[in-house]
Formats: sequence, structure tokens, C-alpha cells
Amino acid sequence: MGAYVVRRLLWLPVVLFLVSFGTFALARFGPGDPVSVTAGQVRDPKVLDQIRKDRGLDSNVVVQYVRWLEKAVQGDFGESYLQKGFSVSELIFPRMWISAQLGLIALVIIFAVGIPTGLLAARFAGSWIDPAIIGTLLFLQAIPVLVIIPPLIWLFGVQLDWLPVGGWDGVFDIWWVAGVIAIPIPDPHLYIPLVAFTLPGFVSVARLVRVSALEVNLEDFVRTARAKGLSEAAVQFRHVLPNSLLPLITVVGFALAGVIEGALFVETLLGINGIGRFTFEAVVSRDYDVILATTVIFAAAFVLMNLLAEIAYGFVDPRVRIGSSRG
Amino acid sequence: MSQNRLLAVLLGVLAALVLVVGGLSAVLLLGGKSEDSGSGTTTSSGTRTGGGDAKGALRLPGTDPVTLDPHIAGDATSAEYIVEIFGGLVTLSPKLDIEMDLAEKVDISPDGKQYTFTLRADAVFHSGRKVTATDVKYSIERASSKELASPTALAYLGDILGVREHFAGVAKDVKGVQVIDDRHVRFTIDAAKPYFLAKLTYPTAFVVDKSQIESNPRNWSRKPNGTGPYRLMEWRLGERIVLEANAKFHLGTPKLKEVNYLLSGGSALTRFENNELDIANISVNDIDRARDSKSDLNKVYKAWPQFSIAYIAFNNGVPPFDDVAVRRAMGMAIDRKRVAEVTFKNMLQPATGILMPEMPGYTPDDKTLSYNIEAAKAELAKSKYAGKMPPIEISEVGAGAEAGIDTQAFLELWKKIGLTISIRQTDFATFLADQDAGRLQAFNAGWIMDYPDPEDILDVKFHSGSPLNDVGYKNPEVDKLLDAARTEANANRRLDLYRQVEKKILDDAAWLPLYFSQAHVVVKDSVKNWFEPPMVVPRLRFVELAR
Repeated sequence: MGAYVVRRLLWLPVVLFLVSFGTFALARFGPGDPVSVTAGQVRDPKVLDQIRKDRGLDSNVVVQYVRWLEKAVQGDFGESYLQKGFSVSELIFPRMWISAQLGLIALVIIFAVGIPTGLLAARFAGSWIDPAIIGTLLFLQAIPVLVIIPPLIWLFGVQLDWLPVGGWDGVFDIWWVAGVIAIPIPDPHLYIPLVAFTLPGFVSVARLVRVSALEVNLEDFVRTARAKGLSEAAVQFRHVLPNSLLPLITVVGFALAGVIEGALFVETLLGINGIGRFTFEAVVSRDYDVILATTVIFAAAFVLMNLLAEIAYGFVDPRVRIGSSRG
Repeated sequence: MSQNRLLAVLLGVLAALVLVVGGLSAVLLLGGKSEDSGSGTTTSSGTRTGGGDAKGALRLPGTDPVTLDPHIAGDATSAEYIVEIFGGLVTLSPKLDIEMDLAEKVDISPDGKQYTFTLRADAVFHSGRKVTATDVKYSIERASSKELASPTALAYLGDILGVREHFAGVAKDVKGVQVIDDRHVRFTIDAAKPYFLAKLTYPTAFVVDKSQIESNPRNWSRKPNGTGPYRLMEWRLGERIVLEANAKFHLGTPKLKEVNYLLSGGSALTRFENNELDIANISVNDIDRARDSKSDLNKVYKAWPQFSIAYIAFNNGVPPFDDVAVRRAMGMAIDRKRVAEVTFKNMLQPATGILMPEMPGYTPDDKTLSYNIEAAKAELAKSKYAGKMPPIEISEVGAGAEAGIDTQAFLELWKKIGLTISIRQTDFATFLADQDAGRLQAFNAGWIMDYPDPEDILDVKFHSGSPLNDVGYKNPEVDKLLDAARTEANANRRLDLYRQVEKKILDDAAWLPLYFSQAHVVVKDSVKNWFEPPMVVPRLRFVELAR
């Protein structure tokens, strides 16, 4: 397995090269450029051309790419055009961190709710409870976040005045008891975005767990467990649950890669300074180096998380011997 | 046992997630608190308001500026912050009069080409260092240097002798800026131009601190050492910008001690209603509520005229817009008053010409071609393209499947005179690329005044030699009048020349002026003296907070 992992990791630079060069070329050949976008209304074409020349935007794509690559391998992703004077790393990592915190918390909640409901649905397969659970979750998934957020803001933010109407202020606030004991409590800015993130997510986890639990329920060892007189709860938790969770590992892999990508709509509607909205703005205004850096980081995260999921899979399920088939 | 291993892995993942999120948050929370407390967010306003000290600081909506470097900023958002943090020799008053800022007086030579500024004895940077004539010269040379490649340098400083050579990299310094002594600096320009002082009110001509820039060339503008009424205390990207009053400000101590621009948080009006902001803009979706005398918003709602105009630009160089009859016919066929009323609920004022209300040279009579379908048909019949009209396409920025609501109304009106016009929508960057390359036949556009002088629109956008004349408009008579206005010393005669120019341009229908903008704003009762100037001017120091 070690050799397999090394081999897979060796492919990473190749993948990143292809992704970065593709993105680079697409951005350069596409219409519009950041010099033009950030010029404002005083746009003397001759002056803009001189700026392009000074920034090296007039040389050919391969030369420009190599220039970018030289810096990128040293960890310098370049400078933003839209936010002049700031390096790309300064702009994207804090935002990625905000998106990642929200995404990770949402992920934990999705699994914590999705797994038991999936088991429950499988346990009651054939009765009305199963379709009721899955139906409700499907309904929640079908409501676009664009639709669900405004009423949440209106109700909890404006009418009841319980929650702020948007923004981000960290995960925890600290309540000081008698000035000495610090109790961390979730920050109120969290609730509305978390609702928006989690509601559509439950159903995919629940359905996956339900399907595999249904299969596992028919397995010999479950029948044996029941036959030897174990209580239903013990059967479910000790035998059905662990074996139903296998397919989830793959989902976790993808989902973890996804959390750093942020979410455009949630971040825009709630004014959260996350990476999703920022990436979108960068694309719209052709902020070349920002687009490139986020794409490359997303690609790297995707590859690594998938590899991690595969390794975990092999570790958990002895039947899967990753890498052995091709020697 | 594979099951135990699986459980171990899952529990491990879960534990890792909790640890990562919890641990890092705790670190950030405890470690970052000192940084946070800069604006007193969590301490004084509790957890509810999401930022901003509700008592001592004005809370404004905002977005990140593109840059706080005055010499390269070309957008209104950046300028709003820059005019509060920096200053130049001259500035604009809230009434848009040119006033002395770092200079206490200016002597203009009889031929109108030499401006000798005397610096104020008490003009200092935020750091306390005195502003000298050398700082002024350094600033003009930096702004117009080849290395900085400022998009605005030539437009605002290009009249100064030697700036163009310096920008091209052929001259080491700007010969038109001379240091006489510590407190005196002389500018020499290429011709007597009455609007020259007005141009110096723009950030490109602002004074910056040489020693700060040279010691930190890359990052100095994150904590700039300016001379303006406010100093930048904190800038957290996408989160907030905090300005603090400069008590030593030479034109008088600002009344407002602190200003917090809250950059995140979603809809400004919602945050205003939730008492998280003191000021918010009203969009067309909320205007009915703001105007309804029974609504809470109505009591705090106000509208101010703005120095900006929206128009349809005809590319005068390509068919069929090389024919004045086609342009005039299209102008006569639109009813901008009705469209402004129906589609924009009169949030925009129908344009009566090119110069906006309160601009020098403005006259209140409607100078646009009047709406008359029959006259428009007759005009179109005069065209060389009558009966063989090439396809017409108007470009606009947009991503929707349908055109802007006013454009749709215009399309219907143009159909009445037999013109079927199509709309092409592209994203902003593509639109600009096409516009710069002159590929657009006609397009929706706008212009915001940068200084309150008719030259900044009539000359800049319509003189055949201007690099910003992006519609290819050429009228020798107009050029002659504009040339005369450039150097006319008598203010009334000069404005009269511009009125003649405006009339000719409107008769030629070089543009199809649509609307003048207005700012629609709600302001909390506790904010005194708030105003929305028609263009960007320093204003925060006049505002007071009563709470």
C-alpha cells in the first residue's frame, strides 16, 4: 500500500500542472482582462496597453505561465489585480478558513443527523415511516438556499431580532462567568448559514446509510446475531451500523474537499466573507492570479482527500486491497 | 476486527474535525481578541450587532477599496476612503467649491500658466511630520512615473509640463513642478486652463509621504500616512475599515471621532433596520416602502442628486450610426420621462441634457430631442439607410436571459418607428474589452463626474482628440468651441461656450442621454449633517453623532 500511495502522490504534480496550465490558458484567451476591469472610467486605451506591457501581460502565454510557475513552486501565488498591493495568499487563505469552519461544522451536523435517520429509515423499511423520513429530507433538499435564506433572515433577524442578519464573527463567543470561567458558546452569526448548509445535505447521507443498512440487514451475520438473542438495539449498533457506514467514507472524502470551496449563494446572501463569493468575484473581474491559485488549491484538495478516502477504505475493509490488483 | 477499525476511523475523523474547528477557533479567539477589540466589536456592542461600536462610532456600509494608494485609484469606492485619509494642495467643499487644503494660497501668473502654491505652516502628515514643497514634487513625480503606470495620471496631471515625458520614461523628473523653498512650489502648465485647479482636487494629485513609501514600497498603503481629516486605524479585508479622527487636522478637528465601515453582513437596508448600520442605500425594490408616509423608513429617507449620467452610446463611426438622422430618430422615439416613471419609479431623473443639475453650465430646460413618434419616422426617412437598415445591436452588461427593464421599453418604442433592435448581453470584463476595442455598435454606458467642471464631460468625452471619446464623435465646430473653452478666462463666457457645445452634441445625437442619478438613502436620526454630495468629496468631518 505504501508504494501505491507514493505512486498516487507522484501523480499529484502532473494533475496540478494540467489544471493550472489549462486554467491559465483559458483565462488568458478568454475575453477581457484585469487591467481593463480595474481601470475605472478613465480608460485611455494607450495607457491601458502600457500598463499591460509593464505587467508582462503582452508576452505569450507559455512565457507568462512559466513566469507564474517559477514563483508558484516557491509558494508565491502572485498579486491580486482587484485588491492592489495584496498577495493572493493573503486574500484567499483567511477567506478559505472562514468557509472551511462553516463547512466542517455543517459536515459534522449533517453526519450526526443523517446517519441515525438513515438507520431509522432502514429499520422501518416497508412501513410509512421510511418514506416519510426520506420524503421529508428530499423536500428539504429540494428547497434552494436562495429561497430559504431570505425568510430566515426576515424571521429571526428582523422580526424576532434574535440573530444578526448576516456576517461572520468566528465560531465561538466567550461568556465570562464571574470574570474567571470562560464558557465558549456558538456565535449567533452561525445559525442561519448552518441551517442553509445542512438542510439540503441530510438526505444524501441518510439515503446512503439506508440503502447499505438494508443490504446489511439481510446478511448472514446479522441473522446470526438476532438468532443468538441479541437485542435489536445491539444488533443495529454493533453489527448493522458499522457495516453500513463503509460507502460514507467516499462521501466524506469528497465533502471534505468541498468545504474549502465555500458556497457562493450562502456567502453572498448573508454577507459572509468566504472563499466562494470571493472566487466568483475574481472570475467576474478576471483577477488572474486569484483564479489560478484557488483552482489549483481546490484541485489539490480534491486529489488528496480522495486518496485519503481510498486509504481509509482499504484500512477499514480487509477485502479491499488497494493497489494490489495492478501489482 | 474490521468493524472496530471502521469505528475507530470514523471516530477519528469526527474527533479530528471537532479538534481542528474547536482548537483553531479557540486559538484564534483568544489570540485574536486583542486585534478584534480595536473597534470594540464584541465587548461594547455584545454579540448581536456583528461589529461596530453603537455609541461612539458612525456605522456605514462599505466594500473593500481596490486600493488606498491615491495615485493609482480610479474608482469611486476607493476615492471615498482616500479623500478622507489623504489630501492635496486643494480640495472640494461640500458645495463643490475649490478650497485650499495643504496650500494656504495660490498665485496664478497673468498668462494663466504658472501656479505658485504657498503651503500652510501647520500642514502635517498623520505622523506629525511637516508637509514640504519637496513632498508635493515627489508626489506628482511618483503619480506620473512610468513604474507606477497609473491609469489616471495623464488625465489629471497631463497638463503639467513634463508629465507626459516622465510617464513615457524619457524624462527623469517633471520639469513643470519646481520647489522654490520649503513652503513654496510652482506648477507650470502647457496652456492657461481654468479647470486645472479642479483637476488637482482628484486623488492622483494628492500628497503622500515619501519616507513611508520608500521604507515600505509594497505595503505602505495598508497603513498610510496621509494628511486628511481621518487616519486609517484598521483594515480587515472584507470585514471592516475603521477610521479615526485626526485631531490635528489643519482645516479643523473633525466632529466625528470614529467611523466604522462594515464590509460584510449582507443587505445594508436589512442591517439598517436591525440597527446594525446608521446609513443605508435604498434600491428600487424598497423605494415604495421608503416613500410610504406610514412606513418607519419614510421619516429617515432622503434623496440627493448625483453628478452622473446614464446614456446609450452610438458608435458614430459605424453604420447606421454614422448617419445623424438614424441617431436623431432613435432619440426622438424614446419617452424617457415615462420610462423613468414606470421602470425606475422615478428613482432616476430623466436627463434634460448632458450637464446635470447643479453643474456649472447647467440650464433647467429640456434640451434633449423631444419624444415624437411621427417626427422620428420622418427623421428616419431622411436617412441614407432608409429602407435598407443594417441590423442594430445594443450591448449591455448582464447575465440574465432578458434585457434591462428600461431597455425592453425602449425596444418597444423603437419598433414603432420600424426599427427592430437586438440586445447583446455579456459579462462586465467582456463588455469592457469589446468597448475598448471599439467593437460595439451601440452600448449602455454611464459617466460620473470627477471634478465639477463641464470640461470633465463635454471635452473629455466629445473632443475628437480626446482618448476617452469612445464613440468616435467628430464635429469640427464642437472641437473649436471646446478649444476656446479650454483657455477662456472669463467664467461666464466659458460656461456659455460649453452650453453651445452641449446643444450641438444633443442636436447631433452623439449620445442618447437617459437619466441623471440620485442617491436614495436612509439616515438614522442620531446622525446629524449627513449629506450625499453629487460626487466624491471629503464629508465625514462635517457629520455629527448624537447618542
